[in-house]
Amino acid sequence: MPEEPALHSKRTLTLRFDIPISKTHEFWDSLRAGKFVTTKCSKCGNVSFPPQSDCPKCMSGDFEWVDLGREATLVTFTHVQVTPASFAGSDPYMIAIGEFPGGVKALARLEGGQPKTAKPGMKLRVEARVEKDGNPYYVFVVA
Amino acid sequence: MNRVAIVGVGHSRFGRRTDVNVGELAFESIKQAIDDAGVDKGDIKDVVVGTMGSWCEELLPAVVVNEYAGLSGAGTMRVEAACASGSAAIKAACGSIISGEADVALAVGVEKMTEVDSPTSVELIGRAGSYMWEFENYGMTFPAYYALYAVAHMNRFGTTEEDMARVSVKAHHYGAMNPLAQFQREITLEKAMGSQVVSWPLKLYDSCPLTDGSAAVVLASEDAAKKLTDTPIWIRGVGYSSDTANLSRRSDYVGLEASVHAANRAYAMAKVTPKDIDVATAHDCFTIAELMAYEDLGFCKKGEGAKMIRDGETELGGRIPVNVDGGLKAKGHPVGATGVSMAVEITKQLRGEAGRRQAAIKNGLGLVHNVGGTGHYAYVTILSRN
Repeated sequence: MPEEPALHSKRTLTLRFDIPISKTHEFWDSLRAGKFVTTKCSKCGNVSFPPQSDCPKCMSGDFEWVDLGREATLVTFTHVQVTPASFAGSDPYMIAIGEFPGGVKALARLEGGQPKTAKPGMKLRVEARVEKDGNPYYVFVVA
Repeated sequence: MNRVAIVGVGHSRFGRRTDVNVGELAFESIKQAIDDAGVDKGDIKDVVVGTMGSWCEELLPAVVVNEYAGLSGAGTMRVEAACASGSAAIKAACGSIISGEADVALAVGVEKMTEVDSPTSVELIGRAGSYMWEFENYGMTFPAYYALYAVAHMNRFGTTEEDMARVSVKAHHYGAMNPLAQFQREITLEKAMGSQVVSWPLKLYDSCPLTDGSAAVVLASEDAAKKLTDTPIWIRGVGYSSDTANLSRRSDYVGLEASVHAANRAYAMAKVTPKDIDVATAHDCFTIAELMAYEDLGFCKKGEGAKMIRDGETELGGRIPVNVDGGLKAKGHPVGATGVSMAVEITKQLRGEAGRRQAAIKNGLGLVHNVGGTGHYAYVTILSRN
């Protein structure tokens, strides 16, 4: 079908965000040190992931950091073959939700798995990484 | 409490609408809805515009839409509930009537998604979750979110890729009968199963397209409705709920809790049960979403969604026809327009104006199920002839 006449706008807009992490920077600092930690409410004991300085359950602002360890269990996964524009050029990748002992879950890339053989219930390990440009992140690896 | 009726409906052609801008696109359905209602547009005191935006140049779409249609001066706002923005607009407009602030209100859903290139659209929807924890480092996409649910559902209940493909075949079957649908051709199960994998296990034919479109409904108080029409369609129940932005904070991945809560609230308000519903639209942004919706809405037991599609229970002539307008898959999914489009479809079904796609109406009850994001928002609206 032929395209209709359009005014091709010459104005572009670039959005790049500086996302505040001051209240939970220990999470990112710990990742650099190879540890996967999150927040636990000092008042009601609720463990949150992602980490947050205010408890979503009792609303207390008192919290401590707890180590979630390295072992997790695969809850569900997918294999992304059509990637977003800002990931253009990426090879297809797997994403998983993994559950830590105690029930806290996280979403991350899954390495070392295959869509055909991955199965909920599989044992995973969480690994801390640092990008080339310095941002820390974490991945799941098939244990 | 004032009762609210739908007294006029309008619906644009859905598809890649490079022939119109957002104001022109919204006008197509607004004009139809106002003509259908036979209302003087000066009597419309509130115009609520459901749109997610970001993919078209206008940042204040509500005022642009109103200016083009000569509705400036009415109270207005844009509401956002992602893909459920349309239902949120109807709920907000209902509130104006229930409170007595307005006798006649207009809810418009509009989305212009194809003014940016497709990868940018995919990017914008992929960011619609918990950005920092799902997108920044990991590159989640909208299909990927639903694929996480599909894998869990397959693993728990034995749902297959073929079951999901059947939803797509059904959608295209009815889309072929809907002159306003984006895709108006039938497809085979083989074609759906053989299509490109987008985010395994979801394929191209498991996924709704990027769509431009608009839909509008004129809402009226009981007094105003009785003056305007002999066939008001009453909004008997509105239920809505939400869930966490971050998927990892959800307890399970085999259904959308927000849908369950929204449905229960809507059924309770309307004092009806799932068995009473004659015809429904369910939010099938991906085929797995329709199967989960059958379960979440109580049309079948948890885990039996695949059986419903296999047994043809949601086709015309089946126990409860679902998405006989082609659904999001074939009719198209202009994000903010979808919820209003669903209300237009169910209104036409209850009025007996759906032509070849007419469902058998026994109890005079229809249901609209509209999800925003991956169950981040959910709205269920129950419409009735009585």
